[in-house]
Amino acid sequence: MAEEAHTQEVGKGPKKRRIGHKKGSKGKKKLKVFQGNGEKVKVDKKMQKLFHKRARDYNSDDEDEEEPSPVTKDRNYQPRYKNVFDGKSSDEEGEEHQNDGMENEASEDEDGEIQPGITKFMEGCKAFRMAFKKILKKNVSDDLLGPVLSAHKKLLAEKLAEEDAERKVKGEAKKEKHLVGEKGHVKPANFLDSHEKFLIGVATKGVVKLFNAVNKAQNAQKGLNPSRFKDAKAIRKRRKDAFFSELGKTSSQAPGTLTMASTSTGTVDGETPSWAPLHDGYMLTNPKLKNWDKMQETTVADDDIGRMSSDSSSEDVD
Amino acid sequence: MARFRNKKKKVFIKPVLKKKQPDVDHITGDKIPRSFVFSRGKLPGSLRQLQADLRKLMLPYTALNLKEKKRNNIKDFLNIAGPMGVTHFLMLSKTATAPYLRVARTPQGPTLTFKIQEYSLAVDVAQSQVRPRCPQDLFKNSPLIVLSGFGTGEQHLKLTTIMFQNIFPAIDVNTVKLSSCQRIVLLNYNKETKLIDFRHYSIRLQPVGISRKIRKFVQNHQVPDLRSLQDVSDFVTKAGYGSESEADEEAATVSLASDLGRVNRASTKSAVKLQEIGPRLTLHLIKIEEGLCSGGVIFSEYENHGGKKTQQEQEQEQEQEEEEEEEVEEEMVED
Repeated sequence: MAEEAHTQEVGKGPKKRRIGHKKGSKGKKKLKVFQGNGEKVKVDKKMQKLFHKRARDYNSDDEDEEEPSPVTKDRNYQPRYKNVFDGKSSDEEGEEHQNDGMENEASEDEDGEIQPGITKFMEGCKAFRMAFKKILKKNVSDDLLGPVLSAHKKLLAEKLAEEDAERKVKGEAKKEKHLVGEKGHVKPANFLDSHEKFLIGVATKGVVKLFNAVNKAQNAQKGLNPSRFKDAKAIRKRRKDAFFSELGKTSSQAPGTLTMASTSTGTVDGETPSWAPLHDGYMLTNPKLKNWDKMQETTVADDDIGRMSSDSSSEDVD
Repeated sequence: MARFRNKKKKVFIKPVLKKKQPDVDHITGDKIPRSFVFSRGKLPGSLRQLQADLRKLMLPYTALNLKEKKRNNIKDFLNIAGPMGVTHFLMLSKTATAPYLRVARTPQGPTLTFKIQEYSLAVDVAQSQVRPRCPQDLFKNSPLIVLSGFGTGEQHLKLTTIMFQNIFPAIDVNTVKLSSCQRIVLLNYNKETKLIDFRHYSIRLQPVGISRKIRKFVQNHQVPDLRSLQDVSDFVTKAGYGSESEADEEAATVSLASDLGRVNRASTKSAVKLQEIGPRLTLHLIKIEEGLCSGGVIFSEYENHGGKKTQQEQEQEQEQEEEEEEEVEEEMVED
């Protein structure tokens, strides 16, 4: 920053210079609106030189002036502005840029006031190329940090190392949390192991049993029209027979190991019994139903009347 | 003078017309059980996925998109459960040691607490398969449930059986349509390890004794590739190589009560094939409580149930205390 100030104006405080610049930019913006139309053509080389001279004068003259009057400012800055648009550089400033091209450009960029027109486009390019080449040529040390521009290399390294350690700790904590979250989560193998095969076998048996039962029950009704009274009676009778035969089978067995639970069950809390009494043989034929209120909690699938339970199979699973 | 009316206008809310699911099965007259699947506490991602899978499993009589908030407690769900006819709660929770699944009956309980030893999501199961299967109407009917190995006579197992049997609607053998039996949930109790394997399969029926080519032809409506054949008759007569699963098909064949689809005719035999859908759980029953997540402990795997005692024990204790008091009084009298 100080350097820049030196190159442009000797013996000027950087702050004041900055203020002037900013004002100038404001002025420029105004001008942009007003002047953009026709005057662009009129500026020839002579005029330009004059303008530059004036500009130089202005710069050297009002060092201490905090706020130059808008009129003079406008006038003085006009040529500069023109330059910006024409892409031609003034002699003075061009020289400057040739001398220390890269530095000046960079510093101007830092200021936030990009004035691309002050250098010739070509020259700017060259300067940039050179600077870039210089950077590229530089032998970068094989350090962990890579090239560090800061003066406090040590401090920076420390800070980076600290950050790294912090991240590591954080990452570990996250990983641990993830592990805890995933506890028990198992991806199944691509093949069916013996246990899975066994389970599928059990399930298949259950399905087959149900389907067979359904087949048996529904085949019985085949050919009969349930809307006709006579047939309906027959159906009822058949169902009853089938049910009782099934019931006899299951009661003879010990509590079956395989229970097809999809058939309706005696509910635990007595929600459905309101329906059961509507059936014909409710509580008449089954001796097991003496203590029906207790039975409902203990027996599993066989109490409901009017339906066939497919609960069966004595084969031991284990 | 007329008083000013309250300026607040009531916003007209369009009543949402919903096709209401029947509360009662129109054929059997049974009440249809419904369920909520939700979580207690914050769950990690995989468990949230498991919750979604469980909801899907419980379809159609469950709230698939049940929204829950942090401040929702069981009472909130219970309040809704009444009017909605929800009979069962499935609650997932997670501690540092393991995830837990609680299955509860509303509104009074009991509550079964399972420790989830292992679980696999439906996605994992599908990934493990070469050709995962998911027909469109797979989740339109509730699954069958098969309980196996629970008949050891122990009380808590009996309760578990009843609980799981009532979680899905009962089916009537006389009226059920075979096309509605698409899925099956298997619970297999292992006596030695005391673990319950929870599996979810899809049921597929295939005609027996028909070569694969013809079956595919009938199913797919696609023109078969006849390049390698000399004559059209070869397509029918040339038998494809039999798969190895054909051998154990014998046990798994059924004759259907009615036609099922284009391929499975009532007149022919069909083979039952199961393919896993997931999720897959390995459960360990650790506790049964009398109430809904509260009340006396009926059963506990680890006998010391942290300060909570059954009612019987409490009563006994009270009696003991009373007796002691009486003794003290007697002593006082003696003095």
